[in-house]
Amino acid sequence: MSFNDLFSANSISGSGMTAESYRMEVIANNIANANSTRSANGGPFRRQDVVFAEVLGSATRGAPGPNFRGVQVVDRIEDPSELPRVFMPGHPDADAEGFVQMPNVQLPIEMVNLLTASRAYEANLRAAQTFRQMSEQALALLRG
Amino acid sequence: METRDSRLHILQQVMDAAALRHRVIAQNVANVNTPGYRRQEVVFEAEMARALAGTGGPAAVNVKPYVVVADGPERVDGNTVDLNREMNDLNKNFLLYEAAAQIITSRVTSLKAAIAGH
Repeated sequence: MSFNDLFSANSISGSGMTAESYRMEVIANNIANANSTRSANGGPFRRQDVVFAEVLGSATRGAPGPNFRGVQVVDRIEDPSELPRVFMPGHPDADAEGFVQMPNVQLPIEMVNLLTASRAYEANLRAAQTFRQMSEQALALLRG
Repeated sequence: METRDSRLHILQQVMDAAALRHRVIAQNVANVNTPGYRRQEVVFEAEMARALAGTGGPAAVNVKPYVVVADGPERVDGNTVDLNREMNDLNKNFLLYEAAAQIITSRVTSLKAAIAGH
């Protein structure tokens, strides 16, 4: 095990926390824009989702398994599902029939995703804390 | 007392295996929301037990931990990580590491005492 691998458990848990907090940011952005009828790329806001992928380093000779590197956010995608049409004739973005296309953000879905992201964040934090305790145990061996 | 003690070596192997298992659990937990991820685990104790009982396999000092892809109930997104299970394994693994570290400490302490002649 090389020196860089010594604290790799910490960076694995760290990558998990980074990915989950990014997911929470995207969810917060979805909730904040639940009623935005205009977005940067034209048209109403579409809810966004993140794509996670496992990260593996190159395997070293004699290693017991792949070289774990945690998780990474590889993409942020827009939900292509249908935008609900709401009858609001007075709205400046209403079409000729008086309907406005609203964002496809659904609060219950966002809240459940927020909850799972938060739980996953806590679990990563717990793993990082345990690694710290284990390192302290190993250092205690030096004290004898 | 024997100083070239294979038991100390075995305890060191236990700590190595526990450190590896911690990384594997950390990887599983980090990928709890990665679609299609399969949980992995470390195989060590069963092989060590066989080696110590002398029922086949390599000698106890040559037993090495290795990582396998484990099966488990699959979620809709093809992911097999169960957070509760991982947290449970994390705690169990920490206790194993701690126990091995403390047994090494106490053995080294008694070796020191024997050397000092107390």
